[in-house]
Amino acid sequence: MQSLFRFLLDGAREALRGGSMYRLWCIGLLVVAAFGTLQYIEQLRHGLMVTGMSDQVSWGFYIANFAFLVGIAAAAVLLVIPAYAFHRSDVKEVVLLGEGMAVAAVTMAILFVIVDLGRPDRLWHMIPYIGRFNFPGSLLAWDVVVLNVYLLLNLCIPFYILYSRYRGHAPSTRAYFPFVVLAMFWAISIHAVTAFLFSANSGRPFWHTSLLAPRFIASAFASGPALIILTLQVLRRVTAYPVKQSVIDMLAVIMMIAMQINVFFVIAELFTDFYNEGAHAASIHYLFLGMHGFDALRNWIWIALLMNLVAMVILTVNPWRREMRLLNLACVLGFVGIWIEKGMGLVIPGYIPTPLGEIFEYFPTGTEFAIALAIWAIGLLMFTVMAKVAIAVETGRMRAPPPSHDLAVNPEG
Amino acid sequence: MSNDSQKAGDKFDQARRGFLEKLGKAAAGAGAASALPAPAWGGASFLEAFGDMFNKQYKKMTRKEIDAALSRIRRRALRQYGVEIDCDDTPPQENVVFGYAINISTCQGYRDCVHACVKENNLGRDSQVEYIRVLEMDQGTRNLEEADHYYDPDTVPVEGKYYLPVQCMQCDDPPCVKACPVEATWMEPDGIVVIDYDWCIGCRYCMAACPYWARHFNWSQPKLPPEEINTKTHYLGNRPRPRGVVEKCHFCIQRTREGGQPACMEACPTGARVFGNLLDPDSEIRYILENKTVFRLKEDLGTEPKLWYYTD
Amino acid sequence: MIRTVAGLTALTFAALAVPPVTAADEETGFTPFTGYAAASEFSVVPRQGELVFFPCSQCHEFMEPDATIRELMSPHEVEFKHGQGRFWCYACHKLDNREQLVAVNGEPVSFDDSHLVCGGCHGLRHKDWAFGAHGKRQTSWTEDRVIYNCTHCHDAHDPVIKPREPMAGPGVRTGLERVAPERHEKPKVWQRRDSQEQKHEQ
Repeated sequence: MQSLFRFLLDGAREALRGGSMYRLWCIGLLVVAAFGTLQYIEQLRHGLMVTGMSDQVSWGFYIANFAFLVGIAAAAVLLVIPAYAFHRSDVKEVVLLGEGMAVAAVTMAILFVIVDLGRPDRLWHMIPYIGRFNFPGSLLAWDVVVLNVYLLLNLCIPFYILYSRYRGHAPSTRAYFPFVVLAMFWAISIHAVTAFLFSANSGRPFWHTSLLAPRFIASAFASGPALIILTLQVLRRVTAYPVKQSVIDMLAVIMMIAMQINVFFVIAELFTDFYNEGAHAASIHYLFLGMHGFDALRNWIWIALLMNLVAMVILTVNPWRREMRLLNLACVLGFVGIWIEKGMGLVIPGYIPTPLGEIFEYFPTGTEFAIALAIWAIGLLMFTVMAKVAIAVETGRMRAPPPSHDLAVNPEG
Repeated sequence: MSNDSQKAGDKFDQARRGFLEKLGKAAAGAGAASALPAPAWGGASFLEAFGDMFNKQYKKMTRKEIDAALSRIRRRALRQYGVEIDCDDTPPQENVVFGYAINISTCQGYRDCVHACVKENNLGRDSQVEYIRVLEMDQGTRNLEEADHYYDPDTVPVEGKYYLPVQCMQCDDPPCVKACPVEATWMEPDGIVVIDYDWCIGCRYCMAACPYWARHFNWSQPKLPPEEINTKTHYLGNRPRPRGVVEKCHFCIQRTREGGQPACMEACPTGARVFGNLLDPDSEIRYILENKTVFRLKEDLGTEPKLWYYTD
Repeated sequence: MIRTVAGLTALTFAALAVPPVTAADEETGFTPFTGYAAASEFSVVPRQGELVFFPCSQCHEFMEPDATIRELMSPHEVEFKHGQGRFWCYACHKLDNREQLVAVNGEPVSFDDSHLVCGGCHGLRHKDWAFGAHGKRQTSWTEDRVIYNCTHCHDAHDPVIKPREPMAGPGVRTGLERVAPERHEKPKVWQRRDSQEQKHEQ
């Protein structure tokens, strides 16, 4: 118990320690988070009328980010699969970072749902037994379950590994491996359930397609590795942590395949809806071509599609993919492209036109941007701190002080 | 399972009651309960605010708790609007399932129903929530995407148009009820899909699930002119709503459960609206459903709406 | 009010409520209309008391019945559109007793039962009305069924409902504004055919 307390204390100390750049980065994120929190207090005071949402478009920027981030969370654990399934020791070294990213992304996703609630004071109604939890009827209830379990899994596994290393033990594979396998499948489930959350609504033809879940997984496995590739390079530059090039190469290949599949799915969707354009195609028509003079999303979706296509081409051509600058470009394009396509590009057109055929556009307000930015800042800060502590433990910088009786044998003590 | 949850709920209740009592004493001790600024979710004192916060879901409440909640609603209306309202929770009648039929040959598109509904159901005047939308449709098509919601000609009906009033269909297999993560909305034995406004968390998933755009959200605290408040209210119906929750048409539960007719039907000057008990074989609505050409909106979605349309 | 009306009309209209077996009238040979089988019990909101000039005998007592078609004088200068010139007053009003209407079979009909006159021609509509698919009900779903007469809504001399100004349209929630869509009337199928033919000719 005492060593656990010491581990947490050491971790906190490690998180607070750092160079000026590290501190500046953290303070910057804190400022953004604080500003957004003030905006959220405004939202609590006045209600959701400070957002651009309406009865016509009743989910907006928050849920768009939520859908995207669940994908990032799912894909971050993607690293686990090759590490354990194919015994890739190089990948194993960065698995903890992936899980840290998953934790940050799930937390952000949950925060995005909470800020979207009209009555956050009643969140306890969701707690089984004291509240009334509509499980298994409601897909939203399913999502709450899978996201929280996923968060717990991804907190516990790295915690166990790091804590063992901290105390100088080798973590017992037997103890945590079953949970790693569970996390792998769970990663798919969180994203499938999030897709089902949308595709369950038969009254919204744009979402009501069985392709939505596969599309979600494909786009997640494209945007997730993109973020990990970029993050690993940053970590390689600013920390002493060894990130092998082979890991990045592997991730690039995964991203290539996922992006190809994603683009194919988009084309399949476009074909099905546009070849014989029925009422089910109204939303996609609005999204890609505009409708009755409304076209707020048209330019965005074409830019996103272009970004994804360029990213796919770069990734597909072998020499280009190996060129780090081009690969990074592909990662940025793929990440932003999918953020648009799967965020605003997915959530908003589901509401336009409304089930009664009305077209009422949605534009996020400054408040929504500020709150969203704050949540991203909180996520980044979480990841930064977790990565810093994890790297300190992994590189041996952070270790439990050895018991006094073997002080003499420990060369470092 | 239900026994366990009952026990857990009871335990929680005891804890809650103790907590509230302490809180009440603390508030009384401070002697400034009414001077405190109103918490974001309403209530003059923290005790009141917490009283709402720890309200149980309607179906789980005991008679005593329901009475306490009803009197809290009355006090809140008095405080917010200075109006004494009546709030009850008249139960459903035996052997009654409500249904509605609208004659679209007769509907002239006056929108009298819309405005009668706004008044009857204490709908926020600034939030512009209206439970009924009358759609102006081109003769020769039933494509909702070509409907005009905002028609405003000098006179109606306009040549070449017909009118299609849409409101909550009180589906018999309601997708909104399935969607709600906290069981804040459910179908009552008389077929009305109701919402517990004190239980809804405002996630708006039901609004995404509804194929008829029947559900509306209180984006801000609804504003009511005190002199226009309908003081006859029902817990699951037209009582003044708090901010941040979803609401919708409930077939004027405060009227129909006591044998009255819905406000929209009463207001319709053309007699296009027919309301009644689907289980009564001698009712007008049964005659219409069994003898006239009827249709329902989006019947293919399998939601089994209990609102039909028919033509002469 | 509703109660008394229901009571009154129930008396005058008992025939419709429970269709009795009536023998054919010996003089005219007609069987009077006794209502529809299986129609639920109902009574009709009386109309006679609402008539402005009733009782008609106030004036007509001193006038000779005159069936000739002529320009009507005050106070009867109504625009008589019903039937577009097919009828004259005595198609519905009883020539020798202005206090009454007349059904197609010649039966005298009270103004309170004017639907029997309308139903003589508009049979299907009358049936819908009797069963509740047309017309307006005055009482609620639990009370005894009391329905309005045809002439409550339709002016018997000009029965088409006049267009009226609609009430205000829907708004949007506080803080948002609506932009009106650019609506392009989708051409009807026959309109599309017209434009295609034109293209073909060119």
